[in-house]
Amino acid sequence: MHSAVRPLAITASLVALLAAIPLVFVAYKSSGLTLTKWGGLWQSRLPELLVNTLSLSVLVAIGSLILGVSAAWLVARRHFRGRRLVSWLLVLPLAIPTYVFAHIYTVITADDGWLGQLWLALFGSSIDIFNLWGSALILTLAGFSYVFLLVRIALMDANRSLEEAARIQGAKPFSVFWHVNLPLIRPAIAAAMAVVVLHTLSDFGAVSMLRFQTFTLSIYLQMSGRLDDEAAAGLSLILVALSLTFMILERFFRSRARYFSNAQSRYQQPRKASKGELLVIWLWLGLICLFAFIIPLLWMLQWTWQAIASGAIDARFWGYTLNSLTVGALAATVAMIVALPVGLFHTRIKSWLSNICLYFSSVGFVLPGPVVALGIISFAIFAVPALYGGLTLLVLALVIRFLPLAVQSQEAAMQQLTPSIEQAGRILGAGSLENLKRVILPMIRGGMASAWVLVFIDAIKELPATLLLRPVGFDTLPVRIWIEASEEMLELAAPAALIIVLATLPAIWLMARSSGNRREHGF
Amino acid sequence: MLGLKRSFVLVLATISLFASQFILASERLVVYSGRSDQFVLPVIDAFTKKTGIEVQLHNAKSTALLNKLILEGERTQADLFLSNDSGNLQVGADKGLFLPLPEELVADIPEQYRAPDNSWVGLSSRMRVLVINTGAENVADIDSVFDLADPALKGRLAITHSANGSFIAGTTVYMLAAGEEKTRDWLKGMKANVDGKVFNKHSKVVKAVAAGKADVGLVNHYYIYRHLAKSPDAAIKIVLPDQGKDGIGVAENVAGIAISQYSKKLDAAKAFVAFLVSEQGQKIFAEINREYPVRPGVAAAAEVPPAGSFKVADVPMYKLGTERNRTLDMIEAVGMP
Repeated sequence: MHSAVRPLAITASLVALLAAIPLVFVAYKSSGLTLTKWGGLWQSRLPELLVNTLSLSVLVAIGSLILGVSAAWLVARRHFRGRRLVSWLLVLPLAIPTYVFAHIYTVITADDGWLGQLWLALFGSSIDIFNLWGSALILTLAGFSYVFLLVRIALMDANRSLEEAARIQGAKPFSVFWHVNLPLIRPAIAAAMAVVVLHTLSDFGAVSMLRFQTFTLSIYLQMSGRLDDEAAAGLSLILVALSLTFMILERFFRSRARYFSNAQSRYQQPRKASKGELLVIWLWLGLICLFAFIIPLLWMLQWTWQAIASGAIDARFWGYTLNSLTVGALAATVAMIVALPVGLFHTRIKSWLSNICLYFSSVGFVLPGPVVALGIISFAIFAVPALYGGLTLLVLALVIRFLPLAVQSQEAAMQQLTPSIEQAGRILGAGSLENLKRVILPMIRGGMASAWVLVFIDAIKELPATLLLRPVGFDTLPVRIWIEASEEMLELAAPAALIIVLATLPAIWLMARSSGNRREHGF
Repeated sequence: MLGLKRSFVLVLATISLFASQFILASERLVVYSGRSDQFVLPVIDAFTKKTGIEVQLHNAKSTALLNKLILEGERTQADLFLSNDSGNLQVGADKGLFLPLPEELVADIPEQYRAPDNSWVGLSSRMRVLVINTGAENVADIDSVFDLADPALKGRLAITHSANGSFIAGTTVYMLAAGEEKTRDWLKGMKANVDGKVFNKHSKVVKAVAAGKADVGLVNHYYIYRHLAKSPDAAIKIVLPDQGKDGIGVAENVAGIAISQYSKKLDAAKAFVAFLVSEQGQKIFAEINREYPVRPGVAAAAEVPPAGSFKVADVPMYKLGTERNRTLDMIEAVGMP
């Protein structure tokens, strides 16, 4: 191993070890499972859980792909009134936690909700979203924005000369998309799919609200009903295996396509939309925005108004807000920093060690939040009892949960670092630290910023691990939403959800700004 | 780079801010609470006013808190554990998490509402009852929970999903009072009647019955009165099931409290329990959620059927913990949604 790489390898391994804490907990706990118990698990629930979890992932992936890619293409390739607004509206669903989405949709599709009544009038039956399709719909609405964001950036950055060449040769628009655009945006699609599917596999909010039996819900029920840690750990282990398989497949798929665009790629104003196209754009994008953001927003505004009117928003509420912002910012900052060695190591060196570091750093994301939390509690009490009960452990848990988001987006940025750039730095006499500071960091600024933002958005929404790990008396907004919503005190849950959306706005703006060609991206 | 320095300064500032908050918290009694804050805060206010002792609630699901207590062991910050389900309290007691309460502290509370070794004490009781739509036909002779398995109710029955803590507790009581076989058949009958459509909240069961979407539902009694308080003209009525000479009586479950084995504020914790079982504490604690105080002689809220006017199943509450896994086995074997 090259001497300049060794410190990198060591730091990356340390991060991976830290991230693997919950996995060690799960492995240790499930080692207590006897063969008969494994057999019992297999017979009683595994087949159903596998089918449910996999079909949900596939449906959400397809749904997000359709919504995300179509919206990204329309926004990137056509100019129309309201394009800026739509670009915002299509990203903002990221700010709404899945349990809030699920809660809102269960309320409005109930028989006495307005959507339920509308449906009843139109089709003569009730809507039932407490099933696979409902869960898939909610998770698609909550997750397609990842696809939209990454694909739109890829389309914007794609070299237009290739498209023009194809068009001059007489290719129809769809054919251009299929043969020219799609191969170019494939890495972006793959990366976005990974984020969407991993979110789906680890989602607890929507499936618990809709009672759709996936691995996460079943693990939770094992832990809560019987206090059966061993069965929960066994199921978690299978979930991790499932997720890692998926990630390896995704990596394999992505590694086959890597394009370096040359430095002269230029930006071109998108074509003005024709009348017919305008109609499609407004209808299609309007519909997506309506269900993914406007309806939830109106619901939050309505109940927040009631909360203000009834004087429910007091100093304590702002305390929860401050708590949430602090935890989110801390977790995002730490994750951004510790993701750096893992991402850099893996981009530079393809070895078994760098792969292991990468996969270990992803484990926290796919394990259910309560399992991560319990793992960290056990670890802290065993190894660093002095930390127990403080904010540090909560931040650690959130970093472990969302580290892969940071690694993924930094790695995407690092791929532009062609070896020649670093060699140039070294030839000019820069040491590895100076190279990092003066060459690498400035070049991956965008990736660092989106890493920070992605972690911040998820950390500020996180519920299950926060619920267990927060210091006594330290309530965050999601915790309050959960407490109030479980007693149907909607006027108290809604303002908290609204604040989460507002708090995420600057973060999203930051990400959009730093992702390359600023103004042209419509933000 | 993204104002890294600035964010660190911000972070340091907030940490010091929080540090001061936690120093305050450490002087307070910490209660891990599985009961909604709004139903606990009034009694805490009264307690603090009387004794000057501050109480910090730490809310989460009872079972999650129990898991946390088990993992934390002696590192726990909890002085007390408050749960809406005596099953959880007994499971914790069996794991040795709690300090048995002195007999004189809880002597006024009937024995069936306490752990055999006084590891926990019940505070308020809720009844498993039927809610019936007043306009529904053919429901006049429904007077037992076991009638809910009658195929005539197909598509007309509203229940919560079987992972609900109250559902599990109720099933345990029926299993112990009426036998395993009868209870299993009952579950099977209800499973056929609901055909996969169950509710995730009791309030929605009541709502469905009030809207005429279902004729009859199985709920905790206070959900009915909570609904009636919001819409007094709702077309629902309460039926206390399984009365009469041969009836097993209404199934009940109690919310209760225990002192952590590792509490360093034992005197304050005992004072809190003493206040909760006192007449004043009992009245406030139970009334706000329209539950029945467990202390004899303290009346429940005016709108609920008075205690003593109906028969209650004779099952000591600690059994809800010791028998829970058997109930879960049965529910799973039936495949209850």
